[in-house]
Parts: sequence; structure tokens; C-alpha cells
Amino acid sequence: MSAPLGWLKVLDLAWVVAGPLVGRSLADYGATVVRVESGKRIETARVMGPFPGGKPDVLRSGLYDNSNAGKLGLALDLASPDGQAVVRDLVGWADVVVESFAPGQMARWGLSYAALSAIKPGLIMLSTSLMGQSGPLSGVAGFGNIGAAMSGFQNIVGWPGAEPVGPFGPYTDYVAPRFSLLALLAALDHRRRTGEGAWLDVSQVEAGLQFLAPQIAETAATGRMAGAMGNRAEAMAPHGVFRAGDGEAGKRRWVALVARDDADWARLAALIGGEAQDAAFATLAGRKAEEDRLEAVVNAWTALLPPVEVEALVQSIGVPCHVVAGSREMLEDSQLVHSGHFQSLPHPLGGVSVFERSRYTLSETPGEVRRPAPVIGGDTDAVLADFLGYTPERIAALRRAGVLE
Amino acid sequence: MSGFLAPYRVLDLTDERGLLAGQMLAKLGADVIQVEPPEGSSARRVGPFADDAPAGDNSLFWSAYAAGKRGIRLDLASEAGRAKLAELAMTADFLFESGAQPLDLAALRAANPRLITVSITAFGSTGPKAGYAAADLTLWAAGGPLLPSRDGPGAPLAISVPQSWLHAASDAADAAMIAHFARVASGRGQHVEITAQASVAQATLSHILSEPIGHTGFSLGPASGPKPKKKELDLSGSGSRTRRNKWTVRDGLAELNLGPGPAAGRFTNNLMAWMKAEGALSPEFHGWDWITLPPRILSGEISDEALERVREEVATHLAQFSKQELSALAIKHKLLLAPLMTMADLLASEHNAARQNFVTLEEASGARRTVPGSFVKGVPPVALRPAPALGEHDAEILA
Repeated sequence: MSAPLGWLKVLDLAWVVAGPLVGRSLADYGATVVRVESGKRIETARVMGPFPGGKPDVLRSGLYDNSNAGKLGLALDLASPDGQAVVRDLVGWADVVVESFAPGQMARWGLSYAALSAIKPGLIMLSTSLMGQSGPLSGVAGFGNIGAAMSGFQNIVGWPGAEPVGPFGPYTDYVAPRFSLLALLAALDHRRRTGEGAWLDVSQVEAGLQFLAPQIAETAATGRMAGAMGNRAEAMAPHGVFRAGDGEAGKRRWVALVARDDADWARLAALIGGEAQDAAFATLAGRKAEEDRLEAVVNAWTALLPPVEVEALVQSIGVPCHVVAGSREMLEDSQLVHSGHFQSLPHPLGGVSVFERSRYTLSETPGEVRRPAPVIGGDTDAVLADFLGYTPERIAALRRAGVLE
Repeated sequence: MSGFLAPYRVLDLTDERGLLAGQMLAKLGADVIQVEPPEGSSARRVGPFADDAPAGDNSLFWSAYAAGKRGIRLDLASEAGRAKLAELAMTADFLFESGAQPLDLAALRAANPRLITVSITAFGSTGPKAGYAAADLTLWAAGGPLLPSRDGPGAPLAISVPQSWLHAASDAADAAMIAHFARVASGRGQHVEITAQASVAQATLSHILSEPIGHTGFSLGPASGPKPKKKELDLSGSGSRTRRNKWTVRDGLAELNLGPGPAAGRFTNNLMAWMKAEGALSPEFHGWDWITLPPRILSGEISDEALERVREEVATHLAQFSKQELSALAIKHKLLLAPLMTMADLLASEHNAARQNFVTLEEASGARRTVPGSFVKGVPPVALRPAPALGEHDAEILA
């Protein structure tokens, strides 16, 4: 079978993470995605790394390359009228526009959905923003850490009674693309059947709410409110992150370990032995009643073993346990090696561009990254000539006018 | 029938590991049939719980993620139950499962070649860890987001609301629709597999690529060693240094990354301009351009003490405002600043009300449940069904 989205043409005006990841998934399954960016105002993902050798280089950001693998690169000054004219021509070529500017910015450039769908009837435009295109707080700017605050995540990571720590990085940037992509694919299917386009308004914060739906329902129904619980859980104990590898100098690691029920604990207690087999721990209620002591018993055992050995021993009795993996552990992870999770292609400037494989495994039409992420404007001439039929003279004139920067 | 996906029928055999996938399709109009064992889905026993309904009907996890679906009971241990499932699968477009019960997906696809089957797994159906026991927390550890989520020498911290299976389930919904477009072209369905370990890796901001890329020390290392001597600057703009971004305000906490550098510096300059105009910033900081500050900090020209002093002034300034006032001020002065919303704040938010982000549904038990509604605006409205009681739609579907 051919690539499922081999027919799809995408004009990708998005930046940073939440928007570009949508086009990345479309490209994995065959879509032609033209990523537009400015060479003057460098997009944030390009300054964030990781970078080869630790040397900051806006053309070699791991975050950018991972979020934009498979796309073509077009450099364009969107603020200039000539640049906006190129966008309108690209809209005539595209099926889909993805953008993640502050709400209202596209309209200020004369590129509203109404204007663009007049050029291309049936156009589907995905606008992904922090708070959505409407409402009293639609003007709130920010990255996904602000999204995490506005959707309730910042309060629910931390130790009980202490100031919350919040989730790592821009959390709603990771959540929103899943909802954006589904809405976009559904709109494409609707267009296939009816010819009708759509302007899709996805808010990162509202996507985040979907991942806290039971807790919102809880507060509405009971007035109780989810809070930070360290790594503990109401219905399972032990449920935590424990030190391992104390015996190896400089090699201390963490392991996550969970007894899902009394049966899990009974097997784990037999493995650990000693105080773990205290009858008081036999039931969840007993373990929750003395959770500090329970965790101390578990930690005394894990601390003396290398982390991979803890994982192997606990998994051998069918209890959930895993090393808390960093980049190195994941690179060496047998399962991720098996699935080919980390991939690379030659980088346009030499060396390699590294990215993750598609997270979906389709039995008949597997995803494939056909080209590395572009350097800024790496495909400008090819896109303008091949997709829009611009002559070399016209491209040269645009370049002289500074539009292709 | 309304909604972009109104023509399609989904059989949902998932438990708490996958309920969200089918619901995402339901919220776009698909007819989603939740298939439960006779004793009810294990997801009905997942908290949080309400006080106003009997066990089995009191799971707010179920209310939140089974909403939008119809529900039937099938005993797949019996020949009759399996035959009924096979019959339903003949008219289904998608089938989601998460390992709750044994299923012969290949046989279902052989009988209905258009069917797309989606399996949501922990580590995959093949490979060295295919048989691993898994919990949400251990998957968060295995896929990368847990390790960097800490701000001191203590253990890394997971989000206190389990997230791993939600990442996997939402990926499953997306992958199913991609397979749908393959079916549009070929007329044939296929099997799709999702692994939670890979799904949660998206929540690492690509930090997990630092080793294959060769950026030693980029991410927080696995060792919980002493504080690094070398200065660490967070130039991301997105606040990877977590607790340093929290500020005490009049009625709670606010998030603001007092960041230098190309991403955050522009917004920090906005904050300083506002404080200066209010007379809240000492003259020694008036000339700082936060965009170009990093080399001056790294060279020692700007001392840690000076940075702490400016933090103190920011803290003093922000402390006089309420969370609601700060939301408006953030818009006015273009600040990357937001209140730390609690669940109660979210329910009371004027913005959420204006966007109609919550819907209240009356379930068969009579209980009323307020849950997030649609996740996208600009689509035809879909009236969300309340989460089904056990066997609520047996008669209309199985008759």
C-alpha cells in the first residue's frame, strides 16, 4: 500500500513544539509539508538544543530536528506584503494550513481563514494557541509551562505540603498535538465526503484539561481537589521512586516501583524478605497506614543493588518496576533498540540529524522519515519553482527584496 | 447524527488504559460502543470517586472518559459472547483494545477486511520488554519524562494524576485515523500498535536525544550528585527549572520564568519595563537587556548576588497582586506569567465559561457530572452522552 497521506499538501506556519509536531506526524505518513520560518527572527525551538558536541547552533537543534523531520524548509518574511503574497500562493497549493501564532496575528497579516479560504475553497486551517482564538484570556501569551499553569498541572507535581514543582518543561506542548492531529484528520475526512473546509481552533490549555478530566469532575462533584502527592497514589502502595546503586560510586540511579495490589506486594515482600514480610503490610490499608516505613524498607533493599538488577529482579516476579531512564538509558534500552526508536539521516550540512521514529506502528503502511528536518530556507527555491511555478527571475527578485530571509 | 466522524462505528474494548482513545473519536461524532465484561469494566473501579452514587456508578474516571459512548456487556469467555462480538465487528470501522481480555484480532480483520484494529500496549507486543509488568509510574520512568522532573537532589517527581496511558490512548486515536486514510485508498484495514513507553517520550522536550546527538550533560543526569559548580542557565523560555519559576502572589502561586537569553529575554524585558514604570525596579537593573544577558552572567560581569537581588524585587512586586489581576496584567504588559490554576479555579474561570469548556451530564444513576467537553472549536457540535451505566445499551445494540 502507498503512504496513507501521500496526496496531502501542508503549509506549516507553526513554530516551537505544539504546532510543528502535527506536521511532523503528517510527513511521517507521506504528506508533503512545507515548513515556513524566518531566517531573521529565529524560531525558539532552534535555540533550545540538544546540540552536537554541546555547541549551540541554530541549524542543528535536536528539538527542532525531531519536531520537523520529513519537512521541506522555506524561508519567508511573513511581515512583508510580498511575503504574504507568497503565502497566498502557497495556500492555493495546499490542502491544509497549520499555524500557531498569537490569536489575531494571521488576520493582521491579511491571512485570516476567511481570506485564505476565499483563495482555496475547502481549505482546512488549524490554529493552535495557548488559550484559544476567543474568550477573555485569548491574549495570554506563553509557552507550554504557562499552559501547564493555566490548565491545572503546575499545582499537582510536588511533595505534599511543599511549594509545587510543576511538570518538566512546557507540558501542554506535548498533549495538544494529539488533539490537533485528530481534529485535522477528521476535518480532512469530512472534506473528502462533503467538500467543506474548516477552521479548527485548538487551545493547548483545553487539551490539557482533557488529561485532567476526572479531577475536574471530582472537584465539581465533591468539592475535593487533587493535589501534589509526591510519587504516591491513593490506591497502590508502594508506589514510588527509590534510590538504587548506592554501592557504585557516582552511579546512583532511581527506579520506579509499584505494587498494584496485595498480590504484587506479597511477591515483592517475599523477594525482599525481612521486615517486608511484616503482616501489617499485607493489605493496602496496612501499607498506606505506615507508608513511610514501607518505603524505607523498599529503599533499604533497592539502594544496595544496581538499578538494572532491581528492575530485572522485580520484573521476574511480575511486579512493575523500571529504571528511571535518561537519554543514555533510553539509547541502550533493549525495547527501544528493538523498535528502532532513535533514528538518523545525513544532515544537509554534514554529520547526522537525529530524531525519534513515529510513535505509531501501522502493520501495512508504516511511517517513514524520508528526509531530515530542513535547515532554514533549505528548500526555498525548489518549493517556489516546483510547487508554485515561479521563474528563476521572480525568485531572484524576491530574494533581492529580502522576502526570502 | 452530527460531527466530522458521524459515519463511523467504533468498538471499544479498552479498560482504564485506553478509554480516552474512543472518547476522542466520540467527541467528533463517531458512534462508540464500549464493550464491558459482565461484571463491568475495571475502569469503573478507578478513582477519584463521588459520594452520591453506588459503587460501579461512582467512578469519576469512568464518568470523565466513558462519556460520549454507548455501553454493552459481553462475556467474551463464552462462545455466544465471542460470536456477538464477531457480529458487531462486521459493521465496525475501528476496534480499540488495551489488553483487558484476550481477543483474536486477526480473525476479526479476516472476517471484515475493512476493520482497523488498534492495540494499546505498555512496551509493545514483541521485543525484550513485551512481557513486562507495567504501571503508569513505571512507564513514565521508562519513556523519559520522569527523570528531568525534579529541582533538587531528591527523587524525581511524577505528575500526581497518572498520565502515561493518556498519552498512549491519544496516540491510538491519531494512528487509527491515519490508518483510516490508508483504508480510503485501498479499501483495507490494518492493525495498529501503540506503546506507552514511546508515547510518553514526547513529554521530554527531546532531551532524550542528547546522548545520540552527543550533547553531554545537556539533560539532568541520572545521578543525584552535588550541585554542579558550573553555572547552569535555562535559556529555553519554557521554564525547565521548575520551582524557581513559582512566585507567591496574594491568593496563591504564579508561574513566571525569569529567564535571560533569546527565547525568554524579550518577555523578561517587558516585565522589567513594567516594574520600572511602577517604580518597583532599582536603577542598577534599568540598563539590563535580558536577551543578551547570558554571556554577561557566564563571564561573571553580572553576579549571582545581583541576580538574587533582582529576583527579590520581582517577588516583592508580584506578591501584591491576585491571580486574576495577574492574568489581565500578563496580557497588558506581554508577560509570560500565569496563575497556578487549581481545579476550582478552572471550574470558576470566566474564560472557560465563555469557551463552554465544561458540560454537565446527567447519568442513568441520576448523578450529574461536569466534565471537559469538546477539545476543538470550529467543528459541528456533538452532544456528549453521559457515561453509560453497566449494560445501559444492551437492549438497543444486542437485540
